[in-house]
Amino acid sequence: MELTRRSLLAALGAGTAAALTGCGAGTDAGGKADGPAEGEITLLTPIYEGADGKQLLEGKILKEFRKKHPDVKVNVDYTNYTQLNEKITTALAGGLLPDVLMMGVGWIPPFAAKKVLAELPESLAAKYDYEERVLEPSRYQGKLYALPTVMATRLVAYRKDHFAAAGIKKPPASLHELRAMAKELTKGDRMGIDPFSIDLRQCWETFLYANGATLFNADGTKTAFTGARGVESLQFFKDLQKDGSADYTKKTDGDAGATTNLQLGKASMMMTGSGLWKQLQEQSPDLIEKDLIGAFVLRGRKPAMLTGGTLVCQSARTQHAAAAQALVAHLAAPDNVLAAAAQRETVPGITSLRSSSYVKSNKLVDFSVRNLKDACAEGGTPAWMEIREKIKPTLEPAVVSGKSAAAAIAELGELADAAISRL
Amino acid sequence: MATTDTRRPPAPGRIALYVTLSLVALLMVVPFLWMIVTSLKTPAEIASADTSLLPTHWAFGNYADALRAAPFATYARNSFVIAASHTVLNVVFASMAGYALARIRFRGSEFLFYCFVAALMIPTYTKVLPEFLIVRFMPLAGGNDLFGQGGSGWLDTWWALIVPGAITPFAVFLFRQFYLDLPVELEEAARLDGLGEFRIYARIMTPQVKPALTTVALLTFESSWNNFLWPLLVTRTDSLRVIQVGLSVFKTENGTQWHFLMAGTTLATLPMVLLFLVGQRYFVQGFAHTGLK
Repeated sequence: MELTRRSLLAALGAGTAAALTGCGAGTDAGGKADGPAEGEITLLTPIYEGADGKQLLEGKILKEFRKKHPDVKVNVDYTNYTQLNEKITTALAGGLLPDVLMMGVGWIPPFAAKKVLAELPESLAAKYDYEERVLEPSRYQGKLYALPTVMATRLVAYRKDHFAAAGIKKPPASLHELRAMAKELTKGDRMGIDPFSIDLRQCWETFLYANGATLFNADGTKTAFTGARGVESLQFFKDLQKDGSADYTKKTDGDAGATTNLQLGKASMMMTGSGLWKQLQEQSPDLIEKDLIGAFVLRGRKPAMLTGGTLVCQSARTQHAAAAQALVAHLAAPDNVLAAAAQRETVPGITSLRSSSYVKSNKLVDFSVRNLKDACAEGGTPAWMEIREKIKPTLEPAVVSGKSAAAAIAELGELADAAISRL
Repeated sequence: MATTDTRRPPAPGRIALYVTLSLVALLMVVPFLWMIVTSLKTPAEIASADTSLLPTHWAFGNYADALRAAPFATYARNSFVIAASHTVLNVVFASMAGYALARIRFRGSEFLFYCFVAALMIPTYTKVLPEFLIVRFMPLAGGNDLFGQGGSGWLDTWWALIVPGAITPFAVFLFRQFYLDLPVELEEAARLDGLGEFRIYARIMTPQVKPALTTVALLTFESSWNNFLWPLLVTRTDSLRVIQVGLSVFKTENGTQWHFLMAGTTLATLPMVLLFLVGQRYFVQGFAHTGLK
């Protein structure tokens, strides 16, 4: 097993937290949220980073919160996603969990199962205009534990000029069509499709969902991806490479802001994220001016747009539950979600915001909001934090070497089953 | 009388050595040059497929914009205070420990030395959580009672940033090796002159291990200056955050602002480059010495 810094910390964090939460200072059950909103609370956030983000959060969002709740003082602890898990697990072990936490999609079941998060009233789910699919990652065992704020989607972007030159008039309606189209668009050193310039885990998950499969069963106690559809989803990448229409060695680190093959004209289609638009604005504005970039939702047996993002939730240990819950609702309110989305160029998770000028100004965000009905999310099991780290290293050998897709999926299945059995 | 030119053409082996060393030096310096050049390019130019080596438009404004993205002056001050404190503490206390292990005979000194060697082999990240808990449950600090309960201990204080990790087993090991190498006559002469143990350590022996002092100082300052995870974990308020945390604002899950990140990194690297230039002679000596032991 590969021992990484992250896995080591995750294991340590999980183990020690489990051991210590029973005897640490934070063992007191949290207070009830039915009293007045008052007290000093802490917010842990991986977003609102930098001077702009801080100004937005503390200069606008929290200022308005203070007007509504003058007896609540909010201290902000800024971190980033890379270290968020470490922040939460060490804080949990130390018994000083922040009152309000912002975390990623897929993180709710692991922390809700450990009783780190407080259940939120169902009325909050109906308070704003959410697609039910957007709310799914906020639930665990049917109960609401978080509200969505900003989202990031995974979709297929394509070059309209390449499509036009090849006489292709509409996006593929199936994976079979996608493969044929990628083959047709491959010319010289240009790939028909670049599926590998986003994280392989998220890419495979999108194809898995589009293929009509899921990662886990409904209650997250069994793996559900080890069947034929899971294998087919991985085999599809091998087939694309066999056709010569995709090449893992030519992937770019699009998630890190590297210029993508789509921008360079070295790929006609590309799995990418909604954040690509910002990158285009900064790096390739001519592609926007000439309207050369389009997008479509991946379609196999069903359409699938993998949706990640940031959720806001309340600690189960807070002594100021009413204040914490009020802050959760405030951070998830449409105006504040829109402001955060605009600051980060991400997708607001509220359907009614689709008509806002920000959404209209960013075509990939607009596209994502219009297609939230096809949203699907990773995670779904309390063992997700452990399993997510193993997906890419387990599947990668099948993509880059001769390992069969079936063998890689079976190995991943065994690792996931073992992680679930340890719960 | 005719003078003869005593200079001989360099041997082929020497030429090969210089060529190899030049290539290695070039390989080492290229990432730094790339960092500086990228910090002066526009995002469009960084992204361009046919980008030239040097910027077409020198975007010096990247530096000002990057500095505006976070309170870097505060972060730099904090990093400096922590790095300087670690350096002083490590040089002073690790040299004392190294001296004791090398020159003072006492029961269990060998065992103690092996403990230090063993401590060298503990991965940093396995120590994070225990250290965090020690800091969190520090008795009589941050509102804690005698049993470390009730408050937040040293969390979000300078204590948490400076005390854990201030003294490293590597520094103790390095100093011990240097002190071992000093002639026993030096120590005996000092004793005959009536010097006590501390004065022998401070006045006679330690001035002889300047390369070790410089090496430990540079390495400690460097690792402390570049520390990211620990300061992030134990602090909450912006006024205690460090420069590496500031740089992380340019790298989000939504992408990386390379032009700002490279500008910020160039500025953050400068103190280390200057320190190395000043102390490089001793630094190299220090490593050469350790390698010989």
